[in-house]
Amino acid sequence: MSEHLPEKTRNWSVLTPYLLVAPTVILVFLFTVYPSFQTIYQSLFQPGLSRSDPPIFVGLQNYVDLFDSTHFLGSRLMLIFRNTLVFAGATVAISLPIALVMALLVNRRVRGLALWRFSFFYPTVLPLIGAASIWAFLYADTVGLINTVLRSLGLPSVNWTGDPNVVLLSVTVVNIWKQTGFYMIFYLAGLQSIPRDIYEAAALDGAGYFQQLFRLTLPLLRRTTLFLLIVSFTYAFQTVEHLQVLNQGNPADRGNLLLYFVFQLIGSRRNLGYVNAITVILVGLLLIFTISNFLIFERGGDDDQ
Amino acid sequence: MMRRTLLMLVVLVCVLPVAIGISAQDDITLDFYFPTAVDGPIVSTIEGYVAQFNEANPGITVVPSYTGSYTQTRDTIVAEGMEPIVDVAVMLSTDLYSFIQEETIVPAQSFIDTMDDPAAFVDDFFPAMLLNSRDADGTIWSIPFQRSSVALYYNADLFEAEGIAVPTNTEELIAAAQALQTEDRAGLLIPVAGGFPTWMYQAFAAGFGQPLTAEDPSVVNFNSEASLDAVTFLTLVGTSAEDGGYGVGPAGGSAWGETPTAFLAGQAAMIYHTSGSLSNLLNNADFTVGVAFAPSGPEGPATVLGGGNMYIFDDGSKTQEELDAAWAFVEFMSSPEIQSDWGVASGYVAARQSAWDMEPLASRVEEFPQYGVTRDQLDVAVMEFSSYDSINIDGIVNSTLSGILSGEVPLEEAQATLDTAQAQIDGLLDAYR
Amino acid sequence: MTSERNRWSIVADVLTGLLALIWLLPLIFTILMSLRPSNVPITVGNIFIGCGPFEELDVLCRFTLDNYYEAWLVAPWLQHLLTSVLVVIGVLGVQMITMTLAGYAFAKLRFRGRGLLLGFILLQLMIPTGVLLVQNLTLVRELGVFDTRWALMMPYWGTAFGVLLIRQTFRGVPTDLEEAARIDGANTLQILARVYVPLSLPTYVAFALVSISARWNEFLWPFIATRTAEVRPLTVALNQLYQTTEVGAQYGELMAGTLLVIAPLVVLFLLFQRRFIESFASSGIK
Repeated sequence: MSEHLPEKTRNWSVLTPYLLVAPTVILVFLFTVYPSFQTIYQSLFQPGLSRSDPPIFVGLQNYVDLFDSTHFLGSRLMLIFRNTLVFAGATVAISLPIALVMALLVNRRVRGLALWRFSFFYPTVLPLIGAASIWAFLYADTVGLINTVLRSLGLPSVNWTGDPNVVLLSVTVVNIWKQTGFYMIFYLAGLQSIPRDIYEAAALDGAGYFQQLFRLTLPLLRRTTLFLLIVSFTYAFQTVEHLQVLNQGNPADRGNLLLYFVFQLIGSRRNLGYVNAITVILVGLLLIFTISNFLIFERGGDDDQ
Repeated sequence: MMRRTLLMLVVLVCVLPVAIGISAQDDITLDFYFPTAVDGPIVSTIEGYVAQFNEANPGITVVPSYTGSYTQTRDTIVAEGMEPIVDVAVMLSTDLYSFIQEETIVPAQSFIDTMDDPAAFVDDFFPAMLLNSRDADGTIWSIPFQRSSVALYYNADLFEAEGIAVPTNTEELIAAAQALQTEDRAGLLIPVAGGFPTWMYQAFAAGFGQPLTAEDPSVVNFNSEASLDAVTFLTLVGTSAEDGGYGVGPAGGSAWGETPTAFLAGQAAMIYHTSGSLSNLLNNADFTVGVAFAPSGPEGPATVLGGGNMYIFDDGSKTQEELDAAWAFVEFMSSPEIQSDWGVASGYVAARQSAWDMEPLASRVEEFPQYGVTRDQLDVAVMEFSSYDSINIDGIVNSTLSGILSGEVPLEEAQATLDTAQAQIDGLLDAYR
Repeated sequence: MTSERNRWSIVADVLTGLLALIWLLPLIFTILMSLRPSNVPITVGNIFIGCGPFEELDVLCRFTLDNYYEAWLVAPWLQHLLTSVLVVIGVLGVQMITMTLAGYAFAKLRFRGRGLLLGFILLQLMIPTGVLLVQNLTLVRELGVFDTRWALMMPYWGTAFGVLLIRQTFRGVPTDLEEAARIDGANTLQILARVYVPLSLPTYVAFALVSISARWNEFLWPFIATRTAEVRPLTVALNQLYQTTEVGAQYGELMAGTLLVIAPLVVLFLLFQRRFIESFASSGIK
């Protein structure tokens, strides 16, 4: 027995790394890679009329239908797609500047720091569905808080989740409220990594606070901003759970978002081909952004050992 | 790691049922889902019925699960690759053809036919209650359990104070609403905003002369004249007088859940809502709640049925004993005794005529005649929307209505929008004709 | 100069307070609403606390815990709590193991195909699991775990983010320590347990807080992958509470239920504020 041991050990040591990474690799294959390929594959089929009818290969027809504005899903997809871009864009454009302001405010010597930090950050640790429940009460039309306040002030009330021209804004505000604190901490970390003496030098040159802010701080935070731009934009494609409580995509899809649309369509087996095709489009979009993220931030991460 | 976990899972999945099977060999276990979307104690009420059944039927164990949402429970049952995961469930009566298409249900008819007196059983149900249980050939697939209809609720104190008669048609409805509305009080709330305007709309489509669907599941009438009239009426309710509307409610209609809340708070003189809300409204209002036939048409009242029926699920793997046990449970839940109790506990309209002569429902109706109105209204009720591919068609109808009602699509373009939707619907239904 | 600085400082203080108030108001009103008697809805001029003619008590305003009681009756909350806790632990526990093993291999070992395998794992960061709803649903059905707690855990057992995080940390651990332990006869697993893990505890804590928050707060996947109450987490129960609005939305009750569900994490966050913020920060900076 014992004379085999060295060889056995050597075999083991060759295998060790593979054994160590195997669980993760298998799990990633099982729950990410395999489903992705299945999604693409099944997006080329239409399910049969009845359950016992086999699926029919239709090539790219599902995609053609989805971009056909007379088709019952295609007529909805373009609007929902546009909504999603507006939702993501508005979330980014509004929450990042606020996040920066919050970070600057919290990054001072100030009393009650814990309270301020809590106020800005607590929505981040809420479930989105819980945040939505809170806002459903704020947004309720006749018995909601905001409209009651508006009426108390003699102003006309707004149908926050029912007016087609307002609903997307309402849905976006919830996301901004929830996410801004999260983005704040990245700016905070960025600010804290800027050496103090740079500011001291600038102050000696007579630069005021805002000059310092625009000439020093913001340029030094460029990397953080770029990172947050991509992260928050891609994140917005995935944060749709609040729709379930607030408006379920209504009215007339003016308040609907892509991933929630997928979730709505899962119901009918007859839609399976379309659901997979939309998922492919969604994943494709995400890939574009995440890959650019990796190209910018992760390159060279692996060859520095 | 993965293998071990999977192995563990396999062991768990395989061994557990075997272990349970050995310990209770002859017991038939039935999973029962009830996505009853009404408040609190309802869950324990149903669990009470189940316990009663289990007690009376040794050898059968029904395991009740409250699953929260009709649509989502249905989605799991009909989605691809899914064997029925449930034995008996309360599901929307409108999902009949989805289940038939998915080959997941057993017709109740096959059990009724073996009864001693099938006709006596069937005839005890109000005829309207069975409209959505039958397919085009007359076969009964599901048994009514928690049925409701669209009803008009009104603040009776206000009507008395102002000396206004309760409306019986759309013209009187608007007149009453205009007379009763104030700065802080809407005249009429019809919950067509947000979610699912289709149900309310159906009452009006029927009232204006053409229900959305009839017996033939491959025919949907969405661009009829009545349909346009119904949508136009519903839109005008929320359109201000300056813009040519009736101006008696919020633009786009009210949201479903808030409508009773606003009514109870005195912020609405009349509301349209489900008859299932009756108990809630009676229990919580500090004024007299009146109930009337829904005055949904120019000629007179019209309403649409709604709610859930009991289905028995099977993919062909069940034994006759299991199926019989499932039917025994369905029969028990639809018995006049349970229906009578359920009608009082929930506010749903008891489906069997004999249930109304039994306690506790009989004395409840005596005390609150309002309950009787929801029953008598069955005479003017039409079947709820039901068709092939109903999930997608329901989606088209909802989304189209929502577009017009919310003002996204102007009324002048309503007919064209309905035509487009009808073309999409026909495109889907062509496959079944 | 000084007075000008003071002036700006005051402006900043006011701005801080204002922003904080805006962010806190939803929570404040949620709490107020949850304590308001259900027969006193908010109306014009009466939005803060329940005030009205309470003849029986002869008081003007009052609070009530009835909403909490009502919300409590709607769902088996303790059962849902148990599921949420089990899922969070069940995910985190396995993640810790898989990420430690893979993180070590990628940080310290040279082997053929290393870059390729790392790239493969990183695919998970590019294609979020939450987006592949349909296929993962099919998968858990095929694995026979649909409508079990396993279905809620399995998709998250492998974590590319965790692997990256641990790889980074392990790289900072001097190899001398590992060699010393190896001379003492320790094998790889023992070395990991005795040398690497103890030195990387802050990273594990950081990862744990992010992972706990993510799983605790998840809704869409549990909503799809489970059906019966016993295996549904708190978030799904909260949504079910919302479904009871069919016969009228009781906002007091809804807010009470919402607070019950969000309380554990908010309290945890209150206790470990700094830790939380640092952890979330580490989720982006690599």
